[in-house]
Amino acid sequence: MLSFDLHKRKVLTLFLLLLFAWSLFGVNWQEGVMHSSGIGPAAEIFAAMFTPDLSLDILILAIESSWLTLAYATAGMSLALILALIIGILASGVLASGKRSRTYMKGSFRGVLGFMRAIHELVWAWLFVASFGLSPYAAIFALAIPYGGILGRIFADMINDVPEEPILALKATGASRLQCLFYGYLPSVKNSMISYTMYRYECAVRSSAIMSFVGLGGLGYQIQLSLNDLHYDEVWTFIYFLIILVILIDGWSNMLRKRMQL
Amino acid sequence: MKKRKFTFLTFSFYAFLLLIAASWYFVIGVKNASFLELFSKENVAYASKFFKGLFGVGQEEIAFLNRDSWSYAFTLTIETLQMSIMAIGFSTIVMFLTVIPAARNVADGTLTLSRKWYRWVVFGLIRISYIFSRAIPELVWAMIIIFIFKPGILPGAIALALHNFGILGKLCAEVIEDTDSRPIRNLASAGAGRAQILMYGVLPTVLPQFLTYILYRWEVIMRTTIVVGFVGAGGLGQEFKLSMSFFHYTEITLLLICYLILVIIADFISEKSRFFVK
Repeated sequence: MLSFDLHKRKVLTLFLLLLFAWSLFGVNWQEGVMHSSGIGPAAEIFAAMFTPDLSLDILILAIESSWLTLAYATAGMSLALILALIIGILASGVLASGKRSRTYMKGSFRGVLGFMRAIHELVWAWLFVASFGLSPYAAIFALAIPYGGILGRIFADMINDVPEEPILALKATGASRLQCLFYGYLPSVKNSMISYTMYRYECAVRSSAIMSFVGLGGLGYQIQLSLNDLHYDEVWTFIYFLIILVILIDGWSNMLRKRMQL
Repeated sequence: MKKRKFTFLTFSFYAFLLLIAASWYFVIGVKNASFLELFSKENVAYASKFFKGLFGVGQEEIAFLNRDSWSYAFTLTIETLQMSIMAIGFSTIVMFLTVIPAARNVADGTLTLSRKWYRWVVFGLIRISYIFSRAIPELVWAMIIIFIFKPGILPGAIALALHNFGILGKLCAEVIEDTDSRPIRNLASAGAGRAQILMYGVLPTVLPQFLTYILYRWEVIMRTTIVVGFVGAGGLGQEFKLSMSFFHYTEITLLLICYLILVIIADFISEKSRFFVK
Protein backbone atom coordinates (compact mmCIF):
# COMPACT_ATOMS: atom_id res chain seq x y z
CA MET A 1 0.00 0.00 0.00
CA LEU A 2 1.24 3.44 -0.89
CA SER A 3 1.66 5.75 2.03
CA PHE A 4 0.14 9.17 1.65
CA ASP A 5 2.97 11.29 2.94
CA LEU A 6 3.30 15.05 2.96
CA HIS A 7 5.28 15.29 -0.26
CA LYS A 8 2.81 13.35 -2.33
CA ARG A 9 -0.01 15.33 -0.87
CA LYS A 10 1.59 18.59 -1.98
CA VAL A 11 2.08 17.29 -5.51
CA LEU A 12 -1.50 16.09 -5.64
CA THR A 13 -2.84 19.40 -4.34
CA LEU A 14 -0.80 21.33 -6.89
CA PHE A 15 -2.05 19.06 -9.65
CA LEU A 16 -5.68 19.52 -8.61
CA LEU A 17 -5.24 23.31 -8.45
CA LEU A 18 -3.75 23.33 -11.95
CA LEU A 19 -6.68 21.24 -13.17
CA PHE A 20 -9.09 23.76 -11.69
CA ALA A 21 -7.21 26.65 -13.28
CA TRP A 22 -7.37 24.88 -16.63
CA SER A 23 -11.11 24.50 -16.30
CA LEU A 24 -11.50 28.25 -15.81
CA PHE A 25 -10.09 28.82 -19.28
CA GLY A 26 -13.20 27.16 -20.69
CA VAL A 27 -15.23 30.28 -19.99
CA ASN A 28 -15.22 33.27 -22.25
CA TRP A 29 -14.63 35.95 -19.61
CA GLN A 30 -14.05 38.88 -22.00
CA GLU A 31 -17.57 39.16 -23.32
CA GLY A 32 -19.07 39.27 -19.86
CA VAL A 33 -20.71 36.32 -18.21
CA MET A 34 -24.01 37.89 -17.24
CA HIS A 35 -26.97 38.91 -19.32
CA SER A 36 -27.00 42.64 -19.93
CA SER A 37 -30.07 42.82 -17.70
CA GLY A 38 -28.94 40.00 -15.46
CA ILE A 39 -28.90 41.95 -12.22
CA GLY A 40 -32.61 42.82 -12.38
CA PRO A 41 -34.00 39.26 -12.36
CA ALA A 42 -31.36 38.24 -9.83
CA ALA A 43 -32.56 40.90 -7.41
CA GLU A 44 -36.19 40.00 -8.06
CA ILE A 45 -35.57 36.29 -7.46
CA PHE A 46 -33.68 37.08 -4.30
CA ALA A 47 -36.39 39.42 -3.05
CA ALA A 48 -39.09 36.83 -3.77
CA MET A 49 -37.26 34.43 -1.48
CA PHE A 50 -38.61 36.30 1.55
CA THR A 51 -42.12 36.76 0.19
CA PRO A 52 -43.28 33.32 -1.00
CA ASP A 53 -46.80 33.18 -2.39
CA LEU A 54 -48.93 31.65 0.36
CA SER A 55 -52.40 31.99 -1.20
CA LEU A 56 -54.70 29.02 -0.67
CA ASP A 57 -54.80 27.53 -4.15
CA ILE A 58 -51.03 27.66 -4.47
CA LEU A 59 -50.69 25.92 -1.10
CA ILE A 60 -53.16 23.20 -2.14
CA LEU A 61 -51.33 22.76 -5.42
CA ALA A 62 -48.02 22.56 -3.55
CA ILE A 63 -49.35 19.90 -1.16
CA GLU A 64 -50.76 17.86 -4.03
CA SER A 65 -47.56 17.98 -5.99
CA SER A 66 -45.50 17.19 -2.88
CA TRP A 67 -47.56 14.03 -2.45
CA LEU A 68 -47.09 13.16 -6.12
CA THR A 69 -43.34 13.62 -5.74
CA LEU A 70 -43.25 11.53 -2.58
CA ALA A 71 -45.42 8.79 -4.11
CA TYR A 72 -43.22 8.46 -7.19
CA ALA A 73 -40.12 8.42 -5.03
CA THR A 74 -41.51 5.74 -2.70
CA ALA A 75 -42.79 3.54 -5.50
CA GLY A 76 -39.52 3.88 -7.39
CA MET A 77 -37.50 3.22 -4.26
CA SER A 78 -39.45 0.05 -3.41
CA LEU A 79 -38.75 -1.32 -6.89
CA ALA A 80 -35.13 -0.24 -6.62
CA LEU A 81 -34.80 -2.07 -3.32
CA ILE A 82 -36.06 -5.31 -4.85
CA LEU A 83 -33.74 -4.93 -7.83
CA ALA A 84 -30.81 -4.08 -5.59
CA LEU A 85 -31.36 -7.02 -3.27
CA ILE A 86 -31.54 -9.52 -6.12
CA ILE A 87 -28.73 -8.18 -8.29
CA GLY A 88 -26.63 -7.03 -5.35
CA ILE A 89 -26.60 -10.46 -3.72
CA LEU A 90 -25.76 -12.05 -7.07
CA ALA A 91 -23.02 -9.46 -7.66
CA SER A 92 -21.43 -10.14 -4.28
CA GLY A 93 -20.69 -13.65 -5.52
CA VAL A 94 -21.52 -15.43 -2.25
CA LEU A 95 -23.93 -17.74 -4.03
CA ALA A 96 -21.35 -19.02 -6.51
CA SER A 97 -19.88 -22.45 -5.95
CA GLY A 98 -16.34 -22.40 -7.31
CA LYS A 99 -13.73 -19.71 -7.45
CA ARG A 100 -14.03 -19.41 -11.21
CA SER A 101 -17.80 -19.07 -11.38
CA ARG A 102 -17.56 -16.60 -8.53
CA THR A 103 -15.32 -14.30 -10.55
CA TYR A 104 -17.58 -14.54 -13.58
CA MET A 105 -20.68 -13.88 -11.53
CA LYS A 106 -19.12 -10.92 -9.75
CA GLY A 107 -17.83 -9.40 -12.96
CA SER A 108 -20.99 -9.75 -15.00
CA PHE A 109 -23.47 -8.61 -12.35
CA ARG A 110 -21.26 -5.74 -11.26
CA GLY A 111 -21.15 -4.71 -14.90
CA VAL A 112 -24.96 -4.73 -15.03
CA LEU A 113 -25.11 -2.59 -11.88
CA GLY A 114 -22.50 -0.22 -13.30
CA PHE A 115 -24.51 0.26 -16.45
CA MET A 116 -27.71 0.85 -14.49
CA ARG A 117 -26.22 3.63 -12.41
CA ALA A 118 -24.00 5.18 -15.09
CA ILE A 119 -26.95 6.87 -16.78
CA HIS A 120 -28.60 9.64 -14.81
CA GLU A 121 -32.24 9.14 -13.81
CA LEU A 122 -33.40 12.08 -15.88
CA VAL A 123 -31.90 10.55 -19.01
CA TRP A 124 -33.61 7.26 -18.20
CA ALA A 125 -36.86 9.19 -17.74
CA TRP A 126 -36.39 10.80 -21.09
CA LEU A 127 -35.72 7.50 -22.80
CA PHE A 128 -38.79 5.95 -21.18
CA VAL A 129 -41.06 8.85 -22.04
CA ALA A 130 -39.83 8.82 -25.61
CA SER A 131 -40.51 5.13 -25.92
CA PHE A 132 -43.76 4.68 -24.04
CA GLY A 133 -45.35 8.02 -23.38
CA LEU A 134 -46.15 10.07 -20.31
CA SER A 135 -47.02 7.25 -17.93
CA PRO A 136 -46.25 7.34 -14.19
CA TYR A 137 -44.35 4.11 -14.80
CA ALA A 138 -41.83 6.08 -16.81
CA ALA A 139 -40.98 8.07 -13.67
CA ILE A 140 -41.00 5.01 -11.42
CA PHE A 141 -38.78 2.91 -13.66
CA ALA A 142 -36.50 5.85 -14.33
CA LEU A 143 -35.97 6.15 -10.58
CA ALA A 144 -35.80 2.43 -9.91
CA ILE A 145 -33.06 1.61 -12.40
CA PRO A 146 -30.25 3.98 -11.36
CA TYR A 147 -31.11 3.75 -7.67
CA GLY A 148 -31.23 -0.04 -7.94
CA GLY A 149 -27.76 0.15 -9.46
CA ILE A 150 -26.33 2.33 -6.70
CA LEU A 151 -27.98 0.41 -3.87
CA GLY A 152 -27.06 -2.95 -5.40
CA ARG A 153 -23.43 -2.00 -5.70
CA ILE A 154 -23.26 -0.79 -2.11
CA PHE A 155 -25.10 -3.92 -0.89
CA ALA A 156 -22.63 -6.10 -2.75
CA ASP A 157 -19.70 -4.22 -1.19
CA MET A 158 -21.25 -4.55 2.27
CA ILE A 159 -21.78 -8.29 1.87
CA ASN A 160 -18.19 -8.70 0.69
CA ASP A 161 -16.93 -6.81 3.73
CA VAL A 162 -18.59 -9.20 6.20
CA PRO A 163 -15.92 -10.85 8.39
CA GLU A 164 -15.10 -14.40 7.38
CA GLU A 165 -15.22 -16.10 10.78
CA PRO A 166 -18.99 -16.33 11.42
CA ILE A 167 -19.52 -17.57 7.88
CA LEU A 168 -16.84 -20.21 8.28
CA ALA A 169 -18.50 -21.28 11.52
CA LEU A 170 -21.83 -21.60 9.74
CA LYS A 171 -20.22 -23.58 6.95
CA ALA A 172 -18.59 -25.89 9.47
CA THR A 173 -22.01 -26.80 10.82
CA GLY A 174 -23.04 -27.82 7.33
CA ALA A 175 -25.03 -24.80 6.16
CA SER A 176 -25.67 -24.54 2.45
CA ARG A 177 -24.77 -21.40 0.52
CA LEU A 178 -28.34 -20.14 0.69
CA GLN A 179 -28.48 -20.74 4.44
CA CYS A 180 -25.17 -18.92 4.82
CA LEU A 181 -26.72 -15.99 3.01
CA PHE A 182 -29.87 -15.84 5.11
CA TYR A 183 -28.37 -16.63 8.51
CA GLY A 184 -24.83 -15.29 8.08
CA TYR A 185 -24.46 -12.46 5.59
CA LEU A 186 -27.84 -10.72 5.60
CA PRO A 187 -28.32 -10.36 9.40
CA SER A 188 -24.87 -8.84 9.80
CA VAL A 189 -25.36 -6.19 7.13
CA LYS A 190 -29.04 -5.49 7.76
CA ASN A 191 -28.56 -2.30 9.77
CA SER A 192 -26.11 -0.65 7.42
CA MET A 193 -28.35 -1.61 4.50
CA ILE A 194 -31.33 0.10 6.12
CA SER A 195 -29.44 3.27 6.94
CA TYR A 196 -27.98 3.53 3.44
CA THR A 197 -31.41 2.94 1.91
CA MET A 198 -32.86 5.74 4.02
CA TYR A 199 -30.09 8.08 2.86
CA ARG A 200 -30.82 7.19 -0.74
CA TYR A 201 -34.53 7.66 -0.16
CA GLU A 202 -33.87 11.30 0.60
CA CYS A 203 -31.98 11.60 -2.68
CA ALA A 204 -34.82 9.81 -4.47
CA VAL A 205 -37.29 12.46 -3.32
CA ARG A 206 -35.09 15.16 -4.79
CA SER A 207 -34.70 13.23 -8.03
CA SER A 208 -38.39 12.57 -8.28
CA ALA A 209 -38.96 16.30 -7.96
CA ILE A 210 -36.81 16.99 -11.00
CA MET A 211 -38.53 14.26 -13.06
CA SER A 212 -40.79 17.18 -13.83
CA PHE A 213 -38.54 18.20 -16.57
CA VAL A 214 -39.84 15.58 -18.96
CA GLY A 215 -43.43 16.51 -18.06
CA LEU A 216 -44.20 13.91 -15.41
CA GLY A 217 -45.70 16.26 -12.83
CA GLY A 218 -44.70 16.90 -9.24
CA LEU A 219 -42.98 19.76 -7.46
CA GLY A 220 -40.31 20.36 -10.07
CA TYR A 221 -42.91 20.63 -12.81
CA GLN A 222 -44.68 23.38 -10.86
CA ILE A 223 -41.37 25.13 -10.25
CA GLN A 224 -40.67 25.08 -13.95
CA LEU A 225 -44.14 26.38 -14.85
CA SER A 226 -43.90 29.23 -12.35
CA LEU A 227 -40.40 30.13 -13.51
CA ASN A 228 -41.60 30.29 -17.09
CA ASP A 229 -44.42 32.61 -16.01
CA LEU A 230 -41.86 34.68 -14.05
CA HIS A 231 -43.86 34.16 -10.83
CA TYR A 232 -40.81 34.01 -8.59
CA ASP A 233 -42.84 34.08 -5.38
CA GLU A 234 -44.65 30.86 -6.38
CA VAL A 235 -41.30 29.28 -7.26
CA TRP A 236 -40.09 29.84 -3.72
CA THR A 237 -43.28 28.38 -2.23
CA PHE A 238 -42.69 25.12 -4.10
CA ILE A 239 -38.99 25.16 -3.24
CA TYR A 240 -39.83 25.57 0.46
CA PHE A 241 -42.18 22.60 0.24
CA LEU A 242 -39.41 20.54 -1.33
CA ILE A 243 -36.99 21.61 1.41
CA ILE A 244 -39.51 20.65 4.11
CA LEU A 245 -40.05 17.25 2.49
CA VAL A 246 -36.32 16.59 2.31
CA ILE A 247 -35.73 17.74 5.90
CA LEU A 248 -38.54 15.52 7.20
CA ILE A 249 -37.08 12.43 5.56
CA ASP A 250 -33.59 13.42 6.66
CA GLY A 251 -34.80 13.74 10.24
CA TRP A 252 -36.59 10.40 10.09
CA SER A 253 -33.52 8.62 8.77
CA ASN A 254 -31.30 10.30 11.37
CA MET A 255 -33.58 9.12 14.16
CA LEU A 256 -33.64 5.63 12.73
CA ARG A 257 -29.87 5.53 12.42
CA LYS A 258 -29.41 6.70 16.00
CA ARG A 259 -31.81 4.08 17.35
CA MET A 260 -30.19 1.28 15.40
CA GLN A 261 -26.75 2.08 16.71
CA LEU A 262 -27.88 1.70 20.31
CA MET B 1 -34.69 2.35 26.64
CA LYS B 2 -34.87 -0.98 24.93
CA LYS B 3 -38.64 -0.88 24.74
CA ARG B 4 -38.60 2.53 23.09
CA LYS B 5 -36.08 1.49 20.47
CA PHE B 6 -38.24 -1.48 19.61
CA THR B 7 -41.37 0.61 19.20
CA PHE B 8 -39.72 3.28 17.10
CA LEU B 9 -38.19 0.72 14.77
CA THR B 10 -41.46 -1.16 14.34
CA PHE B 11 -43.30 2.09 13.90
CA SER B 12 -40.88 3.14 11.15
CA PHE B 13 -41.19 -0.24 9.51
CA TYR B 14 -44.99 -0.10 9.39
CA ALA B 15 -44.97 3.55 8.36
CA PHE B 16 -42.68 2.68 5.51
CA LEU B 17 -44.87 -0.23 4.42
CA LEU B 18 -47.92 2.02 4.58
CA LEU B 19 -46.15 4.66 2.52
CA ILE B 20 -45.20 2.12 -0.13
CA ALA B 21 -48.73 0.72 -0.27
CA ALA B 22 -50.26 4.21 -0.44
CA SER B 23 -48.00 5.33 -3.24
CA TRP B 24 -48.58 2.20 -5.31
CA TYR B 25 -52.32 2.57 -4.69
CA PHE B 26 -52.02 6.19 -5.81
CA VAL B 27 -50.13 5.28 -8.96
CA ILE B 28 -52.34 2.36 -9.93
CA GLY B 29 -55.70 3.36 -8.46
CA VAL B 30 -55.86 7.13 -8.68
CA LYS B 31 -53.66 7.81 -11.66
CA ASN B 32 -55.14 4.82 -13.51
CA ALA B 33 -51.79 3.76 -14.80
CA SER B 34 -52.14 0.34 -16.30
CA PHE B 35 -48.99 -1.70 -16.51
CA LEU B 36 -50.22 -3.76 -19.44
CA GLU B 37 -51.05 -0.65 -21.42
CA LEU B 38 -47.35 0.09 -21.58
CA PHE B 39 -47.02 -2.84 -23.91
CA SER B 40 -49.97 -1.98 -26.15
CA LYS B 41 -49.45 -2.24 -29.87
CA GLU B 42 -48.99 1.48 -30.39
CA ASN B 43 -46.45 1.81 -27.64
CA VAL B 44 -44.45 -1.11 -28.91
CA ALA B 45 -44.48 0.46 -32.37
CA TYR B 46 -43.33 3.81 -30.94
CA ALA B 47 -40.65 2.20 -28.85
CA SER B 48 -39.29 0.12 -31.69
CA LYS B 49 -39.27 3.18 -33.95
CA PHE B 50 -37.42 5.13 -31.26
CA PHE B 51 -34.79 2.46 -30.71
CA LYS B 52 -34.38 1.91 -34.44
CA GLY B 53 -33.81 5.65 -34.67
CA LEU B 54 -31.19 5.48 -31.93
CA PHE B 55 -29.25 2.81 -33.78
CA GLY B 56 -29.66 4.64 -37.08
CA VAL B 57 -31.61 1.93 -38.90
CA GLY B 58 -32.76 3.25 -42.28
CA GLN B 59 -31.30 6.73 -41.91
CA GLU B 60 -29.12 8.61 -44.33
CA GLU B 61 -26.90 10.56 -41.97
CA ILE B 62 -25.65 8.49 -39.11
CA ALA B 63 -23.92 10.71 -36.61
CA PHE B 64 -21.85 8.08 -34.87
CA LEU B 65 -20.26 7.01 -38.14
CA ASN B 66 -19.42 10.57 -39.09
CA ARG B 67 -16.01 11.99 -38.35
CA ASP B 68 -17.06 15.63 -37.97
CA SER B 69 -19.73 14.85 -35.44
CA TRP B 70 -17.24 12.80 -33.44
CA SER B 71 -14.83 15.72 -33.26
CA TYR B 72 -17.70 18.03 -32.30
CA ALA B 73 -18.79 15.61 -29.61
CA PHE B 74 -15.20 15.49 -28.40
CA THR B 75 -15.07 19.26 -27.86
CA LEU B 76 -18.38 19.02 -26.02
CA THR B 77 -16.97 16.26 -23.87
CA ILE B 78 -13.97 18.42 -22.94
CA GLU B 79 -16.36 21.27 -22.15
CA THR B 80 -18.38 19.01 -19.89
CA LEU B 81 -15.23 17.87 -18.14
CA GLN B 82 -14.22 21.50 -17.59
CA MET B 83 -17.67 22.27 -16.23
CA SER B 84 -17.48 19.44 -13.71
CA ILE B 85 -13.99 20.42 -12.54
CA MET B 86 -15.01 24.05 -12.25
CA ALA B 87 -18.10 23.07 -10.26
CA ILE B 88 -16.19 20.93 -7.78
CA GLY B 89 -13.54 23.66 -7.56
CA PHE B 90 -16.06 26.36 -6.69
CA SER B 91 -17.83 24.23 -4.14
CA THR B 92 -14.52 23.17 -2.57
CA ILE B 93 -13.41 26.79 -2.22
CA VAL B 94 -16.67 27.84 -0.58
CA MET B 95 -16.63 24.73 1.57
CA PHE B 96 -13.11 25.51 2.84
CA LEU B 97 -14.14 29.04 3.69
CA THR B 98 -17.13 27.93 5.74
CA VAL B 99 -16.32 24.49 7.09
CA ILE B 100 -14.35 25.48 10.20
CA PRO B 101 -17.10 27.50 11.94
CA ALA B 102 -19.64 24.91 10.80
CA ALA B 103 -18.16 22.17 12.96
CA ARG B 104 -19.93 21.66 16.26
CA ASN B 105 -16.72 21.30 18.27
CA VAL B 106 -15.46 24.63 16.94
CA ALA B 107 -18.74 26.33 17.78
CA ASP B 108 -18.78 25.18 21.39
CA GLY B 109 -15.10 25.98 21.80
CA THR B 110 -13.74 22.53 22.68
CA LEU B 111 -11.44 22.56 19.70
CA THR B 112 -10.02 26.06 19.82
CA LEU B 113 -10.33 26.60 23.58
CA SER B 114 -12.05 29.94 23.13
CA ARG B 115 -15.74 30.44 23.70
CA LYS B 116 -17.43 33.31 21.97
CA TRP B 117 -21.17 33.86 21.82
CA TYR B 118 -21.20 34.68 18.13
CA ARG B 119 -19.70 31.28 17.25
CA TRP B 120 -23.08 29.64 17.66
CA VAL B 121 -24.76 32.28 15.49
CA VAL B 122 -22.24 31.72 12.71
CA PHE B 123 -22.60 27.96 13.15
CA GLY B 124 -26.38 28.16 12.80
CA LEU B 125 -26.27 30.44 9.79
CA ILE B 126 -23.79 28.28 7.92
CA ARG B 127 -25.64 25.07 8.76
CA ILE B 128 -28.92 26.59 7.51
CA SER B 129 -27.23 27.62 4.28
CA TYR B 130 -25.92 24.04 3.89
CA ILE B 131 -29.40 22.59 4.32
CA PHE B 132 -30.82 25.16 1.95
CA SER B 133 -28.27 24.52 -0.74
CA ARG B 134 -28.46 20.76 -0.66
CA ALA B 135 -32.24 20.52 -0.46
CA ILE B 136 -32.67 22.27 -3.81
CA PRO B 137 -31.78 19.97 -6.71
CA GLU B 138 -29.13 21.12 -9.16
CA LEU B 139 -31.64 21.30 -11.98
CA VAL B 140 -33.73 23.85 -10.11
CA TRP B 141 -30.61 25.84 -9.28
CA ALA B 142 -29.70 25.73 -12.97
CA MET B 143 -33.17 26.91 -14.01
CA ILE B 144 -32.79 29.91 -11.70
CA ILE B 145 -29.15 30.66 -12.53
CA ILE B 146 -29.81 30.64 -16.26
CA PHE B 147 -31.98 33.72 -15.77
CA ILE B 148 -28.95 35.60 -14.55
CA PHE B 149 -25.97 34.30 -16.53
CA LYS B 150 -25.42 33.83 -20.23
CA PRO B 151 -25.81 30.24 -21.42
CA GLY B 152 -22.54 28.36 -21.32
CA ILE B 153 -20.60 26.18 -18.96
CA LEU B 154 -20.30 28.83 -16.25
CA PRO B 155 -23.97 28.84 -15.13
CA GLY B 156 -23.93 25.03 -15.20
CA ALA B 157 -20.85 24.96 -13.02
CA ILE B 158 -22.36 27.49 -10.61
CA ALA B 159 -25.61 25.54 -10.34
CA LEU B 160 -23.74 22.29 -9.68
CA ALA B 161 -21.50 24.04 -7.16
CA LEU B 162 -24.47 25.56 -5.33
CA HIS B 163 -26.04 22.16 -4.79
CA ASN B 164 -22.85 20.33 -3.93
CA PHE B 165 -21.37 22.86 -1.55
CA GLY B 166 -24.07 22.03 1.00
CA ILE B 167 -23.40 18.32 0.75
CA LEU B 168 -19.62 18.73 0.85
CA GLY B 169 -19.87 21.15 3.73
CA LYS B 170 -22.02 18.82 5.78
CA LEU B 171 -19.80 15.80 5.12
CA CYS B 172 -16.58 17.69 5.83
CA ALA B 173 -17.90 19.41 8.95
CA GLU B 174 -18.66 15.93 10.28
CA VAL B 175 -15.07 14.92 9.54
CA ILE B 176 -13.79 17.85 11.62
CA GLU B 177 -16.18 16.93 14.42
CA ASP B 178 -14.69 13.44 14.47
CA THR B 179 -11.03 14.47 14.54
CA ASP B 180 -8.80 14.08 17.55
CA SER B 181 -8.95 17.53 19.17
CA ARG B 182 -5.77 17.30 21.28
CA PRO B 183 -3.14 18.38 18.70
CA ILE B 184 -5.34 21.25 17.57
CA ARG B 185 -5.98 22.43 21.11
CA ASN B 186 -2.25 22.40 21.63
CA LEU B 187 -1.81 24.70 18.66
CA ALA B 188 -4.57 26.99 19.89
CA SER B 189 -3.10 27.28 23.34
CA ALA B 190 0.29 28.09 21.79
CA GLY B 191 -1.35 31.16 20.31
CA ALA B 192 -2.01 30.12 16.74
CA GLY B 193 -4.49 32.24 14.81
CA ARG B 194 -7.44 30.90 12.94
CA ALA B 195 -5.60 30.55 9.62
CA GLN B 196 -2.68 28.86 11.36
CA ILE B 197 -4.96 26.41 13.10
CA LEU B 198 -6.51 25.62 9.74
CA MET B 199 -3.17 25.21 7.93
CA TYR B 200 -1.19 23.29 10.54
CA GLY B 201 -3.80 21.65 12.73
CA VAL B 202 -6.97 20.82 10.92
CA LEU B 203 -5.92 20.40 7.30
CA PRO B 204 -3.21 17.75 7.71
CA THR B 205 -5.50 15.48 9.71
CA VAL B 206 -8.66 15.86 7.66
CA LEU B 207 -7.28 16.32 4.16
CA PRO B 208 -7.28 12.65 3.10
CA GLN B 209 -10.89 12.28 4.18
CA PHE B 210 -11.82 15.57 2.49
CA LEU B 211 -10.18 14.43 -0.73
CA THR B 212 -12.19 11.23 -0.69
CA TYR B 213 -15.41 13.16 -0.33
CA ILE B 214 -14.41 15.71 -2.96
CA LEU B 215 -13.61 12.98 -5.45
CA TYR B 216 -16.82 11.17 -4.62
CA ARG B 217 -18.84 14.33 -5.23
CA TRP B 218 -16.88 14.97 -8.41
CA GLU B 219 -17.98 11.60 -9.68
CA VAL B 220 -21.60 12.47 -8.90
CA ILE B 221 -21.21 15.90 -10.51
CA MET B 222 -19.87 14.27 -13.65
CA ARG B 223 -23.08 12.29 -13.84
CA THR B 224 -25.28 15.35 -13.31
CA THR B 225 -23.53 17.63 -15.82
CA ILE B 226 -25.82 16.23 -18.50
CA VAL B 227 -28.86 17.26 -16.48
CA VAL B 228 -27.96 20.90 -15.98
CA GLY B 229 -27.17 21.02 -19.67
CA PHE B 230 -30.84 20.37 -20.39
CA VAL B 231 -31.80 23.87 -19.35
CA GLY B 232 -29.10 25.48 -21.47
CA ALA B 233 -26.06 25.30 -19.24
CA GLY B 234 -23.72 24.00 -21.91
CA GLY B 235 -21.85 20.80 -22.52
CA LEU B 236 -23.19 17.45 -23.62
CA GLY B 237 -26.57 17.94 -21.98
CA GLN B 238 -27.46 21.01 -24.00
CA GLU B 239 -26.63 19.26 -27.25
CA PHE B 240 -28.57 16.22 -26.06
CA LYS B 241 -31.64 18.38 -25.51
CA LEU B 242 -31.26 20.01 -28.93
CA SER B 243 -30.90 16.70 -30.75
CA MET B 244 -33.89 15.39 -28.86
CA SER B 245 -35.99 18.34 -30.03
CA PHE B 246 -34.80 17.96 -33.63
CA PHE B 247 -35.33 14.18 -33.51
CA HIS B 248 -31.71 13.58 -34.49
CA TYR B 249 -31.68 10.20 -32.83
CA THR B 250 -28.28 9.02 -34.02
CA GLU B 251 -26.69 12.12 -32.47
CA ILE B 252 -28.30 11.14 -29.18
CA THR B 253 -26.60 7.77 -29.37
CA LEU B 254 -23.26 9.45 -30.02
CA LEU B 255 -23.71 11.85 -27.11
CA LEU B 256 -24.77 9.04 -24.81
CA ILE B 257 -21.63 7.10 -25.75
CA CYS B 258 -19.44 10.12 -24.91
CA TYR B 259 -21.33 10.63 -21.65
CA LEU B 260 -20.94 6.99 -20.66
CA ILE B 261 -17.21 7.12 -21.37
CA LEU B 262 -16.85 10.22 -19.19
CA VAL B 263 -18.83 8.67 -16.36
CA ILE B 264 -16.85 5.45 -16.48
CA ILE B 265 -13.55 7.36 -16.45
CA ALA B 266 -14.73 9.44 -13.47
CA ASP B 267 -15.81 6.29 -11.70
CA PHE B 268 -12.45 4.67 -12.31
CA ILE B 269 -10.41 7.69 -11.20
CA SER B 270 -12.42 8.17 -8.05
CA GLU B 271 -12.20 4.47 -7.17
CA LYS B 272 -8.45 4.31 -7.75
CA SER B 273 -7.64 7.53 -5.96
CA ARG B 274 -9.74 6.48 -3.00
CA PHE B 275 -7.44 3.50 -2.75
CA PHE B 276 -4.44 5.82 -3.11
CA VAL B 277 -5.62 8.24 -0.43
CA LYS B 278 -6.27 5.44 2.03
